[in-house]
Amino acid sequence: MFATRSDSPTVPARDSSSESWVKLRRLLGNWQGMTGLVLVILFFASALFAPVFATHDPNALDIPARLSGPSLAHFAGTDQLGRDTYSRVLYGGRVALQVAAIGISVSLAFGLLLGMLAGYGPRWLDNALLLFFDVIRSFPTIVMALAAVALLGPSLNLILAIVIVTTIPGYARLVRTSTMALKNTEFILAERALGAGFGRILWRHITPNVIGPMFILAAMDVPVVVTVEAGLSFLGLGVLPPTASWGSILNEGYLLIRETPWPIIAGGIPLVLTTLGFTFLGEALRDIFDPRLGKGR
Amino acid sequence: MTDMKLDRRSFLATSGAIGAAGFFGMPLFAGEAQAQAKKLTIRVDLDISILDPGYMVGGSEIETQKALLPVLVDFDVQDGVYSFRPSIYVEKFEQRDGTHYDFTLKPGFMWSNGFGELTAEDVKYSYERMKTTDWKGNFEALDHVEVTDKYSGTLVLSQPFAPFMLLGLAAGPSAILCKAAMLKVGEKFTTEIPATCGPYVFEWTPKQKLSFKANPEWTGPKPAYEEVEALIISEATAAELAYEAGEVATTQIAPATHARYIEKMPDNSAIYIAGALQYMWLGMNTENPKLSDIRVRQAIQHAVDADQIIQGAYSGTTEKSNGIICPGLVGHRKATKYTFDPAKAKALLEEAGVSGLELELKTLNLQERILAAQIIQAQLQAVGITAKVVPVDSGPFWEMGDQSKGDGYKSLELWIMRFGTSPDPQEATTWFTSDQVGVWNWERWTSEEYDNLYKQGMVESDPDKRNEIYLRMQEIMEDTGAYVWINHEPETFVHRSDLKISVIASGEMVIREFTPA
Repeated sequence: MFATRSDSPTVPARDSSSESWVKLRRLLGNWQGMTGLVLVILFFASALFAPVFATHDPNALDIPARLSGPSLAHFAGTDQLGRDTYSRVLYGGRVALQVAAIGISVSLAFGLLLGMLAGYGPRWLDNALLLFFDVIRSFPTIVMALAAVALLGPSLNLILAIVIVTTIPGYARLVRTSTMALKNTEFILAERALGAGFGRILWRHITPNVIGPMFILAAMDVPVVVTVEAGLSFLGLGVLPPTASWGSILNEGYLLIRETPWPIIAGGIPLVLTTLGFTFLGEALRDIFDPRLGKGR
Repeated sequence: MTDMKLDRRSFLATSGAIGAAGFFGMPLFAGEAQAQAKKLTIRVDLDISILDPGYMVGGSEIETQKALLPVLVDFDVQDGVYSFRPSIYVEKFEQRDGTHYDFTLKPGFMWSNGFGELTAEDVKYSYERMKTTDWKGNFEALDHVEVTDKYSGTLVLSQPFAPFMLLGLAAGPSAILCKAAMLKVGEKFTTEIPATCGPYVFEWTPKQKLSFKANPEWTGPKPAYEEVEALIISEATAAELAYEAGEVATTQIAPATHARYIEKMPDNSAIYIAGALQYMWLGMNTENPKLSDIRVRQAIQHAVDADQIIQGAYSGTTEKSNGIICPGLVGHRKATKYTFDPAKAKALLEEAGVSGLELELKTLNLQERILAAQIIQAQLQAVGITAKVVPVDSGPFWEMGDQSKGDGYKSLELWIMRFGTSPDPQEATTWFTSDQVGVWNWERWTSEEYDNLYKQGMVESDPDKRNEIYLRMQEIMEDTGAYVWINHEPETFVHRSDLKISVIASGEMVIREFTPA
């Protein structure tokens, strides 16, 4: 049996619940963090409970009622095919959430694994992975997406794949740097001296120490991912019709802006609020978990 | 100090003027200049790149040619049917028989740059040259031009070709060039025409404007406007704003704008529809296993309501089509044999033993087409067919059914297609003959009768007989079950009420025929 750092009687056990409570209070006491948190909760709630909040089937056509303004029957009016814009915006949030949640979770997992392998593994592996990360990062995301869509056709899965591939290098590089800093620390050397294996060191000792900053980075990346999906859908290269997406709602609204402003307003507001919410929350979390940055700003 | 008032109209006027001026590098307050007598400012949507009729692309290049170069005949509309008339350069133009067209030019039309008078030799040089250019297809039937005297000659066709006048001469690349000037410049030019002979002279500011000023040496009828400035505004919404701000006197408009103007026309404005030489349909691959049973295809014909598509995707501004021959042309159909009947569609599917059918519906990645596809998707869903709408960019889209590009055509199922055509039925029917299978006949059916009628239609000059031929050809197409006709999208312009515009059916403006209303 191997000893770990937390098992060691010489390391005083920290009161983690009290520390977390302090951080939460700091988050709630920060207007930016509080606003971000509320907006993010709103985003999750509206997307998860879209079928409950929606007043209409988002894809049901009602051509005689096309381009009507806001009313009690249609809170945000209707689009060119008479579909309820409010319901489509809610369902569009599900697409954004799906892309953000799945895309970022998978990239986090791969970024963590590859970053630790690069940082802790042999030099040749580090060089090979760095080259791979740099190659990926050298492609502008939108250009890569356009090329992929031209080759394979638009789909939600393709958007997810593009998000995953393009965000992995960012996480992996962060993890690699942290891993390299940790791998020669005393507690890791002690583990190795005690015979801990490669996998155990990575999983039990490196991961808990590098994962915190990754979550902050992930929170900051959500708006980027959401806007990539909206951007591709705006260009008609994202989700397939009739699935609602904020980008496709904006695209339809843009072409009809002189007939009715409501689709643009209804599709634009959630995009702005979500972007703002995750950005505020991410910045507040960064200030709390890395106070040096907050003071330096 | 002057009080400033800001209402919607003045806001539009100011923002439109500033936007257009800033965006296109124009001096501000151009509107003041437009108020001067005899100057007209209009909008064109594309810049020119090649003015040589043999190698041009079309659009604003044809518009420029029509202001600067002679032609034998002009496009015309008689009782709603597309036709032609002798141009201002011509004293006489007559069809002697199926293969001979006699012409006599009016004397006294002078080429610029001292190249002398317009003669029959110029006509011979220009049209025989066309047979070796990128637009040779329009002149394929022309064998040669006989010159009788200085001003007279005969166009001799190798065989009777009924569409020759409309397809070759009245629309498209029919401008006559100066032989002497062409020989001097090595028979090639791009945007500097070596010699012009039109009511206007031309100045070009790339990416900004095309300027036409009255030609002082012109001996023909004076154009109504001494100067016409055509601002190049590619973006449709910017052009419409410029129109509403009074910066341009006319512009082409999109279907959604047309619908808005029908509800509330801008002050002092009128709508002009030049023609509707485009035809759109829902196509089906008859060789695809899912669609090889004609009853399935007929079920789709009965399941789709084109009227809903026109209302939803085109704001009710386009005409429902019943075939490929556009309104105003010989052979235009008034009705289809099938009707919108979802119950019949379900019955046909049941009879064919098909249930849970899943199909892929491909369309160009354009807003109206995607809306149309979604309406079709909903209508097919109502009869139990699940259609997946797949928007495709133009590059891969135009290769989908081309069997020289691989095996992709085999998996093609449904698609929305739109073709444009010239003001003669022959061109529209070209793409569906047996030798076009896998080229443009993506539906992949063949009919010996259709092929024979196609050949007859080319040489038949009796309008009534041509009408019968083209009606039957469309009936053959419809009977394959592979087509659901959707609409004919028009070339729609808005213009000031005090301006009478002239536009040929394919949407090109004839600036020299613009007059005050």
